[in-house]
Order: sequence, then structure tokens, then C-alpha cells
Amino acid sequence: MTTRTDDAEDERLAAQAQTGDRQAFTLLVRRYQERVFRFILRMSGARDEAMDLTQETFMKAYQALPAWRPEARFGTWLFQIARNVTLDLLRRRRTVEFIPLDTGLPDGAALDPQDAAPLPEEQLADKQRIQLLERALCELPVEQREILLLRELENMSYADIAAMLNIEAGTVKSRLARARVAVLAHYRHHAGEK
Amino acid sequence: MTAHAPDMATLSAYLDGELGISERRQLDAHLATCRPCALQLAALQALAADFAKLPQENLGFDLAGVIEGRLAVAPRPRGKPRTARWWGLLPVSLGAAASIALGVGMGSALFGGAAVTPRVTAMSVFDTLPPGGLCLGAESCYGKGARK
Ligand SMILES: [Zn+2]
Repeated sequence: MTTRTDDAEDERLAAQAQTGDRQAFTLLVRRYQERVFRFILRMSGARDEAMDLTQETFMKAYQALPAWRPEARFGTWLFQIARNVTLDLLRRRRTVEFIPLDTGLPDGAALDPQDAAPLPEEQLADKQRIQLLERALCELPVEQREILLLRELENMSYADIAAMLNIEAGTVKSRLARARVAVLAHYRHHAGEK
Repeated sequence: MTAHAPDMATLSAYLDGELGISERRQLDAHLATCRPCALQLAALQALAADFAKLPQENLGFDLAGVIEGRLAVAPRPRGKPRTARWWGLLPVSLGAAASIALGVGMGSALFGGAAVTPRVTAMSVFDTLPPGGLCLGAESCYGKGARK
């Protein structure tokens, strides 16, 4: 989660880096390297590739820096680059299924609450839930995986997610809900397995 | 109140603090009396708690230092005009080079042999095993049938 102070510091460093101050950029890398790495790792599922892509993200960010404007939150802008770099990889793997998840569905439609019906607490132990969550993240369509990561791990606001993914805030709301229901359905589906 | 299906999108936005004040108050009041909605909200809250408990993976080294070394030999970026640059030749930049795997050599090619630490070299080694600790061996992970 970023604070206003963090944002101001990002902005200051990014503006400095724009003038050619490499040290300022290095500081930005240090501020974001772990978060960007985790996002890419969870998106791609491969550690070595995630390391390479994290580097690539920052190199691309450095090159694109002249185009960055303070109106765009630096972190959001950086994650956008990380996302593009990762989607490129997934496309090369030919594993991305670009399904138009939200077309034609009004907010909240097609969400079957039955899918998310709560389980009795004792049915799934903590550890099992975490394992199921990791597995669910693997199996979700990339659009649902990324939006969950941005919200749950990066704590991004709907407005920031909308800006980053270039979608409407209403779409963020419905896609996120659908992704959550999908994970809960996954829990439910595997609840009987041991 | 008549039986109704909980509105998952609204509950999910409520959880995220993304509802307007009046909508939020309305839902507050509703949740106090509607057990199905309250249970759904609890499920969403538990899910959020699970996310917070995911193992934190780390890079394991200071990438910033590596980047610093790379920038020292990289041309300084300019807004305009856009000229072809050496990293523009990388498959990633081209985006469409579907047949070329990124992994091996990406790091080393970029580094041009300079400022490469042993750790960085290790990064470019492709790992054909499932990602450490991330996947529970589900073959379908990250794309069904990708490797079939
Ligand atoms: Zn209700």
C-alpha cells in the first residue's frame, strides 16, 4: 500500500531520474523491485523468468521515463510496464486465453453466489486454504488473476486499477467480484479433497 | 424482506471500501439483518485474509545494483526522436517473436558480459520445474495444455 508521502517521494525521484540522474532511478528500482518481482512471479508462475522480466521492466521503465508524467502515479505506471512485459511472455507461451470476460454483462450479473457459499470453518484448514488459493491463482484466466493481485496484494484502488488496465471502474468492480467468486468456488470444489 | 441473491459485486466493493457513503450505509443496515449477505461478506473477508497469508517470495538479491550497472553502459533515454536501440532488437520488445524463448541468454545478452554477478548469471538459466513453492504440481497451471 502506498501513502501520499511515498507517492511524493516517487514523483521526486522520477522527476530527478528524468533529468538523467541514474542514482535517482536506482533508488526507485530499490523501492519497487520486490513488489514488481512478486507481481510478475504470481502472474507468470516461474521464478527465473520473473527475475528476468523484473529486470526488463525496470530497463523499459528507464527508457520510457521521458514519457512519464506526474499525473500518472509512478507505481501504477511501473506496474503497467510490468504487466505488459509479463503478458508478452504469456503470449509467447501461448497460454493466455483472452476471453472477453465482461462483455454484455451488467455489474454483478452472472455471479452465482452459490459458488461462493461459505464453507464451515473447520472444513478447510488455514494451510489448505493457502494452497488452494495458490492453485486457484494458477488456474484463473489471466484477467482475473491480475486484477486480484493488483487489489489484494498491491492494494490498488479501483481508480488506479482502471487506469492501469485501461478499463472502466465499473468493470473493475464486476471483474474483481467475479475473480473472487471464482476462487471461492475453487475452494468449495476442492473442499472434499485431502 | 424477501429472499434474494446477495449482490457479490456490491459486497466485494464494500469490502474494498469502494462504495459511496450512502450505498455503504444502506448496505451496513442490510448486513445487520440479512444472514446470506453477511455470510458472503465473511467469505470475501476470509479470502482477503488468505491473500495476506500467501508466502512472500523475494528476489534474493539487490536488483537495483544490477540495474545501476546496466544503466552505466546504456544510452541515456530521450523523449524524441525515437531511434532504434540495441534492446529494441530483443524479442520482448518485438512482442511477436513467439518462437523465441526469452529465458536463456536474455540476461547475459543484455549485460554484454559486463557487471554480471554470479547471481545474475543464474537468473538466465531456465527452470523447467514448476515454480518453487508456487504450484502444487498441477499440470494445467498457467495455461491449460500449454505444454501438450
Ligand atoms: Zn441480503
